[in-house]
Amino acid sequence: MSNDAERDDGLLEELRALLGRADPVPHDVTEFAQAALGWRRLDAELAELLTDSALDTDAAALTRSGDDGRWLSFRSPELAIEVEIRSEAGTHTVLGQLEPAPAAATVEVQAADGTALAAAEADPLGRFRLTLAAGGRVRLRVLRRDPAGAPVESSWLVL
Amino acid sequence: MTASGAPITQLVRAAAAGDQAAWNEIVARYEGLVWATARAHRLSHADAGDVAQTTWLRLVEHLDRIREPEGLGGWLATTARRECLRHLRLHGRESPSDNVDLFEAPADDLPGLALLTEERDQALWRAFARLGERCQALLRLLVSADEPSYAEIGAALDMPVGAIGPTRSRCLEKLRALVGHDPAVQGGAA
Repeated sequence: MSNDAERDDGLLEELRALLGRADPVPHDVTEFAQAALGWRRLDAELAELLTDSALDTDAAALTRSGDDGRWLSFRSPELAIEVEIRSEAGTHTVLGQLEPAPAAATVEVQAADGTALAAAEADPLGRFRLTLAAGGRVRLRVLRRDPAGAPVESSWLVL
Repeated sequence: MTASGAPITQLVRAAAAGDQAAWNEIVARYEGLVWATARAHRLSHADAGDVAQTTWLRLVEHLDRIREPEGLGGWLATTARRECLRHLRLHGRESPSDNVDLFEAPADDLPGLALLTEERDQALWRAFARLGERCQALLRLLVSADEPSYAEIGAALDMPVGAIGPTRSRCLEKLRALVGHDPAVQGGAA
């Protein structure tokens, strides 16, 4: 018994050394992870990702309507953001709704480094529409002017 | 402060307050787990990189609301697994083959075999690549740099903790047999 255990441990150690050399964590991933702490925006309130239809179980996906839209919902303590994303030929259209609807608010799509890729005013019902020419990792940033409030930022989403 | 031996609770608190050294130590402790989780889902090198990056961004956004820092590894493993599933659901696999084994990965994508000069290493690598998906995934997690707990491995692979021990034995037995049958290796497993 203990012989088997020792043999197993020995083989695992060999495999550990092997994978450590053959498939280590890439340096750019380590550097990205380390830098990510510095990209926090401490002024903003997080709207956390609650649901993403891309993670639906197969059963749930089957009961949805047939089109290819992706639905996501985000919640901060003060604001809910519902989003539908329609992707076609590399272009992504983001149709969204803020709840409760602020009287005046701008919604931006930000890239990982903070660059604004697109921006739109929400209408009086809190609806907005943004178009992105490329995919990638983005987040929504909502600037509420009336009533004024802290910016709300969504969790990262990958298009 | 010496971050390297600090308890995880202290590191999380310090990192949430902006301490870069503490954050780097958290990355060092868990990057192997996150990477192994992505690779265990048979994502390509590039896709695994994307998933790992997204996982770290999610930790950053949650850093000041981690209630149980002791469970951080499990949280990261679960998050990485969900990002893998999301990626696969949205983009599928880069390779049309359902059998993306590491051994056959393009040389510039994964140096793999080219780096391994010893016969024994090459034989082990070939044998590993011939294991079933589940065995490759479990062994990859078991040998990831940070020696993850069974709870963390269970979270990474959505596998019941109680199944890990028996599966480990079975997979190692298969691996040993495959290495033993490799013509390049005389005398079987060491």
